[in-house]
Amino acid sequence: MKKIWIFFTLGVLTLVACQKTFVQETPSKDADLKGTSVAVEEIGGNKKIFVLNEGQLGANNATLDFLRISDGQYVTGAFKKMNPGAKAGLGDVGNDIALHNNEVWMVINNSGLVEVVSAADETEMAVIEVPTPRAIAFDDKYAYVTSWAGAFADYTTITDSANPKGCVYRIDLSTKKLAGSVEVGYQPEGIAYYDGKLYVANSGGIASQLPPAYAYDNTVSIIDAKSFSVTKTVEVEINLKNVYADSQGHIFVTTLGNYAAVHSGLYMFPASAPEQVTHIEWHAIKHTHVSCSYVLGDEVFCIGTENEFDFGAAHTYMLWSYNAVKNKFTLYPVTLSGVPYGMCVVEDTMGFRSLLLGDAGDYFNPGTVSCYRLFDRHDKVWSVTAGVCPGHFAVWK
Amino acid sequence: MPGPFRRLEVILAAVIALFLQAPDTLAPAAVYAVKALPVVRATEAVKVDTLVSAPAQVADILRTFTGVQVKDYGGAGGLKTVNVRSLGSEHVGIFLDGIQVDNAQNMQVDLGRFSTDGLGSVSLYNAQKTSRLQTAKEYASGAAVHLESAVPEISGGRARLRGGSLGTVNPSVLWDQRLSRRLMLRTSADFLYSAGRYPYPYFDTTLVRENGDIRSLRLEAQLFGRVRGGSWQVRVYGYGSERGFPGPVIRRLSFPFSAERQADQDLFVQGGWTQEWTGRYTAAVRFKYANNYTHYNTHPEKNPMALPYNLHYRQQSGYFSLAQSLVLAGPWSVDLSTDIQHNALDSDVGQFVTPRRTTFTGALASRVVWQKFRAAAHIVYQGAWDTFDTPQAGGWSRSNTYRGSWMPSLSLFWAPLPWLEADAFVKRSYRLPSFNDLYYSLMGNANLVPEAALQAGADVRLAFRPGTWQLDLRISPYYNRVSNKIVAIPTLSQFRWTMLNVGLVDITGADVKASASWHSGPWRASWTLRYTFQQALDQTTPGSQTWGNQIPYIPRHSGSVTVGFGWKDLAFTWDSSFTGARWSRTANTPDYYLAPWSLSSAAVQYTLPFSERGARRAAAGRALLLGVTIDNVFNTPYQIVQGYPMPGLNAQLSATFRW
Repeated sequence: MKKIWIFFTLGVLTLVACQKTFVQETPSKDADLKGTSVAVEEIGGNKKIFVLNEGQLGANNATLDFLRISDGQYVTGAFKKMNPGAKAGLGDVGNDIALHNNEVWMVINNSGLVEVVSAADETEMAVIEVPTPRAIAFDDKYAYVTSWAGAFADYTTITDSANPKGCVYRIDLSTKKLAGSVEVGYQPEGIAYYDGKLYVANSGGIASQLPPAYAYDNTVSIIDAKSFSVTKTVEVEINLKNVYADSQGHIFVTTLGNYAAVHSGLYMFPASAPEQVTHIEWHAIKHTHVSCSYVLGDEVFCIGTENEFDFGAAHTYMLWSYNAVKNKFTLYPVTLSGVPYGMCVVEDTMGFRSLLLGDAGDYFNPGTVSCYRLFDRHDKVWSVTAGVCPGHFAVWK
Repeated sequence: MPGPFRRLEVILAAVIALFLQAPDTLAPAAVYAVKALPVVRATEAVKVDTLVSAPAQVADILRTFTGVQVKDYGGAGGLKTVNVRSLGSEHVGIFLDGIQVDNAQNMQVDLGRFSTDGLGSVSLYNAQKTSRLQTAKEYASGAAVHLESAVPEISGGRARLRGGSLGTVNPSVLWDQRLSRRLMLRTSADFLYSAGRYPYPYFDTTLVRENGDIRSLRLEAQLFGRVRGGSWQVRVYGYGSERGFPGPVIRRLSFPFSAERQADQDLFVQGGWTQEWTGRYTAAVRFKYANNYTHYNTHPEKNPMALPYNLHYRQQSGYFSLAQSLVLAGPWSVDLSTDIQHNALDSDVGQFVTPRRTTFTGALASRVVWQKFRAAAHIVYQGAWDTFDTPQAGGWSRSNTYRGSWMPSLSLFWAPLPWLEADAFVKRSYRLPSFNDLYYSLMGNANLVPEAALQAGADVRLAFRPGTWQLDLRISPYYNRVSNKIVAIPTLSQFRWTMLNVGLVDITGADVKASASWHSGPWRASWTLRYTFQQALDQTTPGSQTWGNQIPYIPRHSGSVTVGFGWKDLAFTWDSSFTGARWSRTANTPDYYLAPWSLSSAAVQYTLPFSERGARRAAAGRALLLGVTIDNVFNTPYQIVQGYPMPGLNAQLSATFRW
């Protein structure tokens, strides 16, 4: 009979897991954060370059990285390191990042919030809840956030829950609280402010999947900032993505096309006459497609690939730009490899420019950020491991 | 005996001798026909009736098997899929009475939907099942889980009420009726409601899982018939459910995680007829028609974070199989199995291409079976012809593709001593890309080729029967290689992904199972130790940050200890399992480290016999069975899939009346 009890005891002896714990660095000062050393000689004159890694939908792994120019440290996961109390981290899917008054504003799409941290030390200053937020722009009083949800009962009523339009939420910069919303088109993406007006790119990315119309949106909603109402809707091309404004009132809109028959591209209209939409094409080069884009001063930089409907092929990408003020196209002779996912162009004190390119790799594991010189040798200077899907950049001058 | 067989036998013997210091005497194989003997035994097999407080779901039986990982999203309504020896769940065929339960849309079969009611046995084959008269699809699947109905012999029935934690109530009834000397009817019904609410740790506080409720109803009728030299059965199955998806646990402030709901209506009719025409020739026909309807709604009016999807899907499939077996000479038989299947998927999702697939599977198999030496080999050809809409400038046109693959396999068995047997197998199989892989709008890639799995493995089994003891030990090393793995890869922008055949995974592992049982008078005791080692390394891109890393969610070490003991009509089991460290990404970095955990559960069952006959033989007569199952006894917080917390301590009571 004793044997039974031996068996029983053996079974009850629950296997004890040999817990392996990783020590998380929690320095109190941003300056103590150490990362990977990179060469920063050619991007001097800036304080920090912030990189928002989107993470994977549902995995709660959006992260904030930064490159500190003073000591050339590329630091990953800075939000969690500087806010150890925020146990949930930055959240799920970081969709946009922008700097305003030494504050870093981050749009965390699938967490339904806008996170504001200090640019100096990444400590949390405010969190504002906004449903499915996408992108952000500012005037001197408000932050404006595009949102896919038309169903947030506090500020809007649902016009059509089967295929709701999106809206733009307004956040008061002094109180950091929501201060109204206005309905725009289907699934608004990019937003830009110019001279009292907001320009919102409507994509219809979800509407294109929904019966009965299965149609992309093709409009830019123009909102008067003072009255906070839509004053005009301009048709551009299907599936709009980003909006930029230059110093002379040229409004640029990038489009994604429909991945089958309509190509991606760059469109422009003057703020004074929004109906006059021009497709920006340069016939000296093979194509003017746009996979990702960035604006620096008056120059709109685009990375595109020729055979963008061939999804099985390995792609080669081209960096081209357009400056409407100078009416000048430029093709940069850099060789870009991998999967360009997000970009920014940085200028040093001498006016030399470098491209920082986020590569999503396999979109599942951490991607990379690489620096290419846009002068002289046009070569890759360095490459570091970032977070998952490094897609959005903001430069703190 | 052909040369290569002889050589393999010698190699095998040498290996065994090396490991066990067993005398390497090659006993001359006795030459007599033993048609029913298996060449390769099931890796694991349980008779459902012998379990103490048999769990309601098949998934709960499978999770105890060696080499098996059940991916579980938590709660009664959470998706439960199974992967075996680090092969993806798409490589694991689930067969109900020999007929595959499949899902052409995403190749995920939810094991949470299979009740154990009316099942006789649940078995797992890592290697090739080698019995005669299999369908061709059984030969074509990488690993296989076989659910076999218990064929009723006498009229009787069973009414059961289960319920307990998580707001679960589960009444079921099963009734066997003899209609004539050759005909039995079984009908069963099963209703489940579970509120699915359970507390879980949310970062530094505790929340309750919401929107995880389910209600489902299953109605089934089976006819079992016997004819001279043969038998047949027909099953009609209807299942309806309505459930919520609680969504991944992520950072949110006041918005809910999810308001998503799904309603399913599954209907199938399947049957088979096996007939021995002559002493040498036996044939089996099997058929199935299945119709599965799914309605998925994100309810944006209830959740401002929801994307406005309200979609309907209908899958239909028709299947016919003819398996023939011919005994050529004494121990030598050949089988020819031919299956044909048609799958259709319709939906109102945007840019839907209404795919249709016709699959032909043909298998030629041969077995040689002596008492001490057995061998089986087969070759399968599978061809799948798809048609689907393709967007053209200004409209749509119908396209088609054809995918064909050859799948060979060889299994050997050798029993040199009464207490020692060994087997080995090697097998190549392919899994077809699912409709989602191929045609999902903005993501599918119609140019995919089937994903390939190469499996090789061996088992050494020792069995001793001293007195009232039974001692068993099985050691099973294996090697698997998954190539052309279908992986989602981004192109151009975050809006346009595609599926590509790029993944390569190398898997080396071993399963060990040791068990001992003993009985004396009214006393019974048993003890089982299981251990699995799996090294599943990404080999996709040399020099990449993930090359040589363990693939996500596969623990290197896992195992369990199960003890059971009984006295007269009282039975008790205790099970403790351990899952080692895992990573949620192929980049095995601290950010994606998932700590190991261990779990324990206990079950007690008391059988109260009613009749005289029952008193003598409690397993068969009229009786009342009372059971208690306690899961996660130590209330350990854990997640199998990151973001999906599992329930803590929970208990289920059951009362079964059997007549």
